[in-house]
Amino acid sequence: MEIKKTAIAGTLESSDIQLMISQADSGIAIDLQSDVKKVFGDQIEAVITTTLNEMGVTAAKVKAVDKGALDCVIKARTIAAVQRAAETTATPAWEVL
Amino acid sequence: MLIEQAVQTLNLNDPAIFKEWQAFLESLGITNFQANELQQIDTTLGMYNERGSLIATGSVAGNVLKYVGVCNKFSTQGSHFNSIVSALMNLLAQRGVFHLFVFTKVKYATSFQHVGFHELARTDLGVILETGDTGITDYVRRVAQVATDQDLTPASKVGAIVMNANPFTLGHRYLVEQAARENELVYVFVVNDDVSLFTTAERLALVKAGTTDLTNVVVVSGDQYMVSYVTFPAYFLPTQDDAIRYQTTLDARLFRDQIASALHITTRYLGSEPFSRTTGIYNQVLQTELPPAVTVKVIDRQTSGDNVITATQVRRALAADDLATVRDWVPATTYQFMQQHLTTLQARIQEGMNINGN
Repeated sequence: MEIKKTAIAGTLESSDIQLMISQADSGIAIDLQSDVKKVFGDQIEAVITTTLNEMGVTAAKVKAVDKGALDCVIKARTIAAVQRAAETTATPAWEVL
Repeated sequence: MLIEQAVQTLNLNDPAIFKEWQAFLESLGITNFQANELQQIDTTLGMYNERGSLIATGSVAGNVLKYVGVCNKFSTQGSHFNSIVSALMNLLAQRGVFHLFVFTKVKYATSFQHVGFHELARTDLGVILETGDTGITDYVRRVAQVATDQDLTPASKVGAIVMNANPFTLGHRYLVEQAARENELVYVFVVNDDVSLFTTAERLALVKAGTTDLTNVVVVSGDQYMVSYVTFPAYFLPTQDDAIRYQTTLDARLFRDQIASALHITTRYLGSEPFSRTTGIYNQVLQTELPPAVTVKVIDRQTSGDNVITATQVRRALAADDLATVRDWVPATTYQFMQQHLTTLQARIQEGMNINGN
């Protein structure tokens, strides 16, 4: 799936994560801000990367501000942000869910 | 238990709402409610507690967050702040704005950093931060790429000039020539905000057209990082001296720490400023803030006969339909442009475009 424009999903509320996805030439670059980055940073980035891979996104810039989100929330926010960024919100990728 | 209240839009045109909003912000130490600041606000959001009192607010002006104030008396540390900033970011996202700035007091800088903002410059009085899908790192990389494409990097002596060039005159050209002679590479940053008689695209094009023969000069947009509504609103709005000094200090430090260091700029060139008070203060502040990291060179204004060349005089000649009097003040490229677009430019002045400011 191709990222066509910048999109945002999620909030900065407790237990949520705010994800901003934008275009990149190649590869996935994640800029993560989290109070629990030391302990869970790798795990959070892995969930985002895996979800992007499952959706067929190979090039994207991701800015993530985590407020203690669970994996399922991170995944849901990633999917929402990608669908907005790829302009496919009308045809959701159910198989990824 | 407290019931969490939703974020809602505040209509500041309602005198009762405005009064409560202003009193709330004043209680938090925010005191500038001058008309020219308030006029820039596009939307204001707020949250009320169950007793109907305002507990958090924030506004947007273009892509700048303003008047963010939160009372944390009854909440978990930072939760209202995060709700408001989150709501403002989502509001801007709906408008297609993903790159945003905030100009805030030092004590709030950490709160913004906690929600992903990156600090650009600070003084004792305030901090500028940005966040979003692009940022200063992308900007300096793009600018450096332009120089690389012209085979001008690496260079050890690098000059820089920031100009509005409204429009590009022989005075500007003289400044660029001096810098081009003394450096291997010169960056000319053209002010990005589109609030002048000549549009941003026109100003940029005329600077490029007027400097094509100077092969070591790179003309780029200053984006929102140099003399913009974000860093230096007083350039565009009438402002008191202390505020000008404070804003220009932030602008100077942002230039020194983010732009000059990344682009290896060694000297910044300024035109001496006999007329504009705001620009005069800016020049003073640059001379205090930039050295020793960046040398500041003030070049005396170019004169034509007994007159000092200024873009203001060129605009006045346009308004007076007396273009011939300034023929010797501008490069041929600028003159041709003004001749070809005389009616458009004069129509803009007729419609109320201020020609006496910057």
